[in-house]
Amino acid sequence: MQLESKIPAGPLTQKWTKYRGDQKLVNPANKRKYTLICVGTGLAGSAASASLAELGYNVKTFCIQDSPRRAHSIAAQGGINAAKNYPNDGDSIWRLFYDTIKGGDFRAREGNVYRLAEVSADIIDQGVAQGIPFARDYGGLLANRSFGGAQVSRTFYARGQTGQQLLLGAYSSLSRQIATGKVKMYPRREMMDLVIVNGKARGIIVRNLITGEYESHAGDAVLLCTGGYGNVFYLSTNAESCNVGAAVKCWRKGALMANPCFTQIHPTCIPNSGDFQAKLTLMSESLRNDGRVWVPKKKGDTRRPNDIPESERWYYLEEKYPSFGNLVPRDVASRNAKYVCDAGHGVGPTGYAVYLDFSQAIQRDGKDVVQRKYGNLFDMYLNIVDDNPYETPMMIYPASHYAMGGLWVDYELQTTIPGLFALGECNFSDHGANRLGASALMQGLADGYFVIPYTIAPYLASIYGEAGSVTEDHPAFKETTKQVDALFKKLTSINGTRTPDSIHRELGKVMVDEVGMSRNEAGLKKAIDKIRELREEFWKNLRVPGSLNDYNKNVEKAHRVADYLEFAETLAIDALERAESCGCHLREESQSEEGEALRKDDKYCYVAAWEYKGFNQKPELHKEPLVFENVQLTQRSYK
Amino acid sequence: MSNWLTNAFSTSIGKKLLMAFTGLCFIGFLAVHLIGNLTIYGGKELFLSYVEHLHALGALVTVAEFGLVFLALVHIVMGLTLFLQNLKARPVRYEVKKAAGGRTIGSSTMPYTGILILLFIIFHLVKFRFVDKTPVDVNDFTILAATFSQIGWVLFYIVAVIIVAIHVSHGLWSGFQTLGLSHSKYMPFIMALSVVFAIIVGIGFGFIPIYASIIA
Amino acid sequence: MSDTINITLKVWRQKGPGDKGHFETIPVKDVVTHMSFLEMLDTVNEQLALEGKDAIAFDNDCREGICGMCGCLVNGIAHGPMKAMTLCQLHMRKFSNGDTIAVEPWRARAFKVVKDLAVDRSALDKIIQAGGYISANTGGAPDANGLPIPMEIAEKAMDAAACIGCGACVAACPNASAMLFTSAKVSQLALLPQGRPEAAKRAINMMRTHDACGFGNCSNERECEAVCPKEIKITNIARLNREYIKASIGSDVM
Repeated sequence: MQLESKIPAGPLTQKWTKYRGDQKLVNPANKRKYTLICVGTGLAGSAASASLAELGYNVKTFCIQDSPRRAHSIAAQGGINAAKNYPNDGDSIWRLFYDTIKGGDFRAREGNVYRLAEVSADIIDQGVAQGIPFARDYGGLLANRSFGGAQVSRTFYARGQTGQQLLLGAYSSLSRQIATGKVKMYPRREMMDLVIVNGKARGIIVRNLITGEYESHAGDAVLLCTGGYGNVFYLSTNAESCNVGAAVKCWRKGALMANPCFTQIHPTCIPNSGDFQAKLTLMSESLRNDGRVWVPKKKGDTRRPNDIPESERWYYLEEKYPSFGNLVPRDVASRNAKYVCDAGHGVGPTGYAVYLDFSQAIQRDGKDVVQRKYGNLFDMYLNIVDDNPYETPMMIYPASHYAMGGLWVDYELQTTIPGLFALGECNFSDHGANRLGASALMQGLADGYFVIPYTIAPYLASIYGEAGSVTEDHPAFKETTKQVDALFKKLTSINGTRTPDSIHRELGKVMVDEVGMSRNEAGLKKAIDKIRELREEFWKNLRVPGSLNDYNKNVEKAHRVADYLEFAETLAIDALERAESCGCHLREESQSEEGEALRKDDKYCYVAAWEYKGFNQKPELHKEPLVFENVQLTQRSYK
Repeated sequence: MSNWLTNAFSTSIGKKLLMAFTGLCFIGFLAVHLIGNLTIYGGKELFLSYVEHLHALGALVTVAEFGLVFLALVHIVMGLTLFLQNLKARPVRYEVKKAAGGRTIGSSTMPYTGILILLFIIFHLVKFRFVDKTPVDVNDFTILAATFSQIGWVLFYIVAVIIVAIHVSHGLWSGFQTLGLSHSKYMPFIMALSVVFAIIVGIGFGFIPIYASIIA
Repeated sequence: MSDTINITLKVWRQKGPGDKGHFETIPVKDVVTHMSFLEMLDTVNEQLALEGKDAIAFDNDCREGICGMCGCLVNGIAHGPMKAMTLCQLHMRKFSNGDTIAVEPWRARAFKVVKDLAVDRSALDKIIQAGGYISANTGGAPDANGLPIPMEIAEKAMDAAACIGCGACVAACPNASAMLFTSAKVSQLALLPQGRPEAAKRAINMMRTHDACGFGNCSNERECEAVCPKEIKITNIARLNREYIKASIGSDVM
């Protein structure tokens, strides 16, 4: 299979302009003849649904929650980057582009990333026009802050609820289109399969999560905006309903899964406190600006932190990275936390946590100053852990947070299945091997508001004669529904002894231990074996009580876990194949003499896109070489 | 015809605006009524001269009375409509429900105190307004004295006045809130005023039957 | 560190909107006090699953207090006894050994019970669809700094915009009114200059939709404010009232 990225020719700064100038358009009067299906209502899905409906297309939008306003984009705290250069501190489209592609460790396409930086400023304009109450200075102009170690202040924010406000902005535009009737909204639906007719994506089968009914929906193109797969690690900062199901279903139908091993692990999450734990809560990384990370020097030390004298504390980040200290990048901080815990220095009820100590900051600046900066985070910690961070050190541990990998798409955000597009976190396109802070919101909205309205047009123009030709009566819908129904019947008829959650939890443990922040060949091979065993266990010993025709959480979880069990293996295979340290991940065999991550551009400067080959079959690798004409590939150093 | 005026007052807020406006009018009336009645503490002569002055206004009193009846009708009809709608808005009640800290005695009893006040006003009017005042030895003071020489009526009036005070303790600030007259600077004052006014109404009116029973 | 308690759960079970529903009493042993309330329900469901019984249906998603999907009455109070907190953030350490905990769904004519503790809150979406937006098509927006907005105004708008649409205000309101929810959105957009062009139409249409959905009337009981996990203030309701008066008496909008 030849992967055609469709990056327009010409100089980098002109590609998007040229693309827009050259693309085919759909006549305004003809737009109403098309029906577009949009799955998911996060930033990408809501923005795309609203924008496409505004253009005149008919849109059918689906979401898994009870309202489109609840998608997990809502939980993003920090902010959104935009190359506005309002603070006059030297930012530019080029700099945002360069920071993003460098931050991604040179594993993303230049053309895509440059386009992202180009449209970033428009997102802020759009948000303000929608009434998003971004933070402002006394003069009434927008405030900016520096985020995630960036050297310019380009991050716009709305308190600690930027994701919420951006999502509600997109939701309001979506609501307006629902009111006009251009968007038909279907909440509490989960996508169960993609329907392909004559090689083109023509519709979807969804399950009504209240009645259990399967519903067929036909359209002229399908937009997948279903987010990331962070929950493959079971414990993650993702929401309960975040799942990889929709993407996996498209993958089984022929779309490629690209770079699945690129996942982001966030260093400052509240640690796991027991087997009952359902999710991990993220705290802003800014905590590391003032907190000092340490563990007891003695292994298995069970004393209370305040009883451990200064001489017996190991400030491992400050020791290993004297110049960056506690402010090393996310991946370095995460990885080292894992090392010290694996070595037995970890603290807390599970032994998988490290201290983040504010006592020095409190002594130096006073409690008031610390409270002003981190008060809300300290309160949140106190409520969850029941321990006062003003008096005893906080405990933190890394957790899966974001998925850079996803469905392979070209410059037009189209997958290898014609008519199937993937937007936002669900695609692989813009963040390479690592995502910069405050860039997830940017990409989701860029795709939805400013990219897809242009890039979907050539495809729609090319199928003009067929617009609306496939309806729900087409036999492909019946056939696919039958397959979905068979899957559910199978899931509920195993009648074993294990709940979906218990298997998912076990899978998560394998993934965190062997396919997480630090990987090696032996561990990955072990993980692949274990995943296969778990999959076997799942299909032999699953128990799903309750009815299929009902609101049934067990049924929902069961098929999601089934998808994770297949996807996880590909994630591990991808990690095994990529024998370099890159972005978020350290491949232990690929380190510099000082023990730092070593990228291997000669061997792995490509996108790994995996083709599904059947249940229990190894997926096939397709490589899209990455070409860098405008930036020089450099190695990071934080010593 | 879909008239802008009926449209404006047919919504939830519209009806409440009518409630608030008429309610605040009654609070004004209560204040005037109280000031007038306080003349009782000056003795029979002062009280009767107040009554005389009031009746000297002639047609104006009648206009005011019809005005009050109209306000009362609006307040009652709107109040009952809102009350019934509110009951309908939660057809299945909670099995276990606790107040979370917002409600007060006044706020949680508004419809009930309202209905009781209506009954009281009927008694009150029958007792003091629609009574034959033509005989020479009957005047407003003798009616007052005769009524409050009976301990039952004294108690009845005290209870009624307390109910009015409770109603007003919520009604006053609530009226301002509904009319949108809320500002972080002066809302605390209005909330405090509600309570103070309720106490003044309670004590001011409440002691009249007691005082009257003493001087009767 | 990990203490455990035994509790008795009195949880509302209802098959669907047509069913009458009842409390089911479930003794729950060895509840780790570090669990969140929803994690406690998870463990109960896990146990029910192993016994082959139907899981307790309850809505939840982000479990960090921002998506607004979770919520039920815990011992008679929406989102439970803690102030400014969603149900997912409530922890079991706030309960004592031997406690009986009653859990009920939001109840209102506009919120039909879907199953057990899950309710249909689509009426809130309908209110937003009636005008809880600024009509700004993608693409035509002027520069974001073209319109300075005083910081205090932006902050007030943000206070109102913090609403997560959980419906606790409706659940707690003795009249099942959604005025706090409606007023939060009307306020946010009325405060900002971008929202002024449509302010009159918005206030009237959102209010009419509010009524049509079957919500009750606000009687300023302030229970909504007391349970709101995002501490949205009733000053927003006063602002909605003002906007409504301006719109119906002082504007050309019918």
